[in-house]
Amino acid sequence: MSKVLLDPPAMSTAAVLSGLGSWVPPGVVTNDDLAQRLDTSDDWIRRRTGIRQRHICDPGVATSDLAVEAGQRALKSASASRADAVVIATTTPDRPCPATAPEVASRLGMSGVAAFDVASVCSGFVYGLAVSGSLISARVVDSVLLIGAETYSTILDPTDRATAAVFGDGAGAVLLRAGQPGELGAIGEFDLGSDGTGTELIMIPGGGSRQRSMPGQQPGDSGQYFTMQGSAVFRHATQRMTESAQALLKRIGWEAHDVDRFVAHQANRRIIDAVACRLGVPEDHLIVNLDRVGNTAAASIPLALADAAADGSLRPGQRVLITAFGGGLTWGSTALLWPDVTPC
Amino acid sequence: MQTVYPRLVELLARFGVPETEITLDSTFEDLDLDSLTLVEFTLCAEQEFGVKIEDDTLNRQDTLKRAAEVIEIQGAAV
Repeated sequence: MSKVLLDPPAMSTAAVLSGLGSWVPPGVVTNDDLAQRLDTSDDWIRRRTGIRQRHICDPGVATSDLAVEAGQRALKSASASRADAVVIATTTPDRPCPATAPEVASRLGMSGVAAFDVASVCSGFVYGLAVSGSLISARVVDSVLLIGAETYSTILDPTDRATAAVFGDGAGAVLLRAGQPGELGAIGEFDLGSDGTGTELIMIPGGGSRQRSMPGQQPGDSGQYFTMQGSAVFRHATQRMTESAQALLKRIGWEAHDVDRFVAHQANRRIIDAVACRLGVPEDHLIVNLDRVGNTAAASIPLALADAAADGSLRPGQRVLITAFGGGLTWGSTALLWPDVTPC
Repeated sequence: MQTVYPRLVELLARFGVPETEITLDSTFEDLDLDSLTLVEFTLCAEQEFGVKIEDDTLNRQDTLKRAAEVIEIQGAAV
């Protein structure tokens, strides 16, 4: 019996980061602005989070609008006009149904391509990288536009200083293309994990089937705001990102001192410092931009990468370790050699 | 208690708490540790003593004496 192989792979294929774009809405809310309406202060927010300001969308601006802006810039950065697939990592889709990615793909002139959302909250970009990279390495597609985009301002309780002070809006995007393992920008190994016993630590309680399945509940009932149990999340974020990054480093054979740049999910400066300290990564190897943009959830890592590449603190050939933690609970880590890419 | 408590005092020094301000009956609140700092302190204590301290085991109203007892019950590596 003969065995038929359709287009057998001659050699392994890797996804390679070839474009990088970012976009934050122009509106800025400073800590002093928040202190005007909440029981908080610039000093309190800075000491607890390291955040000075965050960008907030104007009324009527949704996640897809930010995603289109960032996606266009990533395509331009790679001198590309399209991709074979669009993946959106977001906690704040335009609507509960359908996914936001098909609309973004069409608005970018890519109607017809594969398009779907990844819902892993603040781990979404790392999960999205794993899924997008796998689509390429499995030769399902030759390129993927992966966009982390968030409009947390639409889900925050304006009276909750713990979340209002932390989160901001923004989007970051990467274009991945088919390439060779080992080249600069090649996406390699991942460590991914979850712990559903922590579901309620980070959530929007309402709006889903759990709430709607309850007798007497109607769509639109309460529980539409994002909630977070700060101290427990701080603890889990520190532990999970540390353990995930350690597992990834072990798998790829890097020591902490091999890491030139460490990009942790921009949740809270104290969490980033605690993880770096536990890993043994020096402070001057950290990429941090949350002081300027706050926690932008699934957008935080590509926004941090874009800012660092733009200001020259991220350079081609550097060994970059990425780790994230988010609702679910979920976490994930990956690493790459930074490519020669100019962010837009 | 005799071995854990002095090491807790040393740990607290890393968080800027002078040894002279600390007694067995000091609460974390007395020592001006906010909730996030208490989490950071707990994570450091876990590493220091090789124990697991579950969420909400220690709060700001707990004393150093209680913290030392919790860590001892967990089987601190001393």
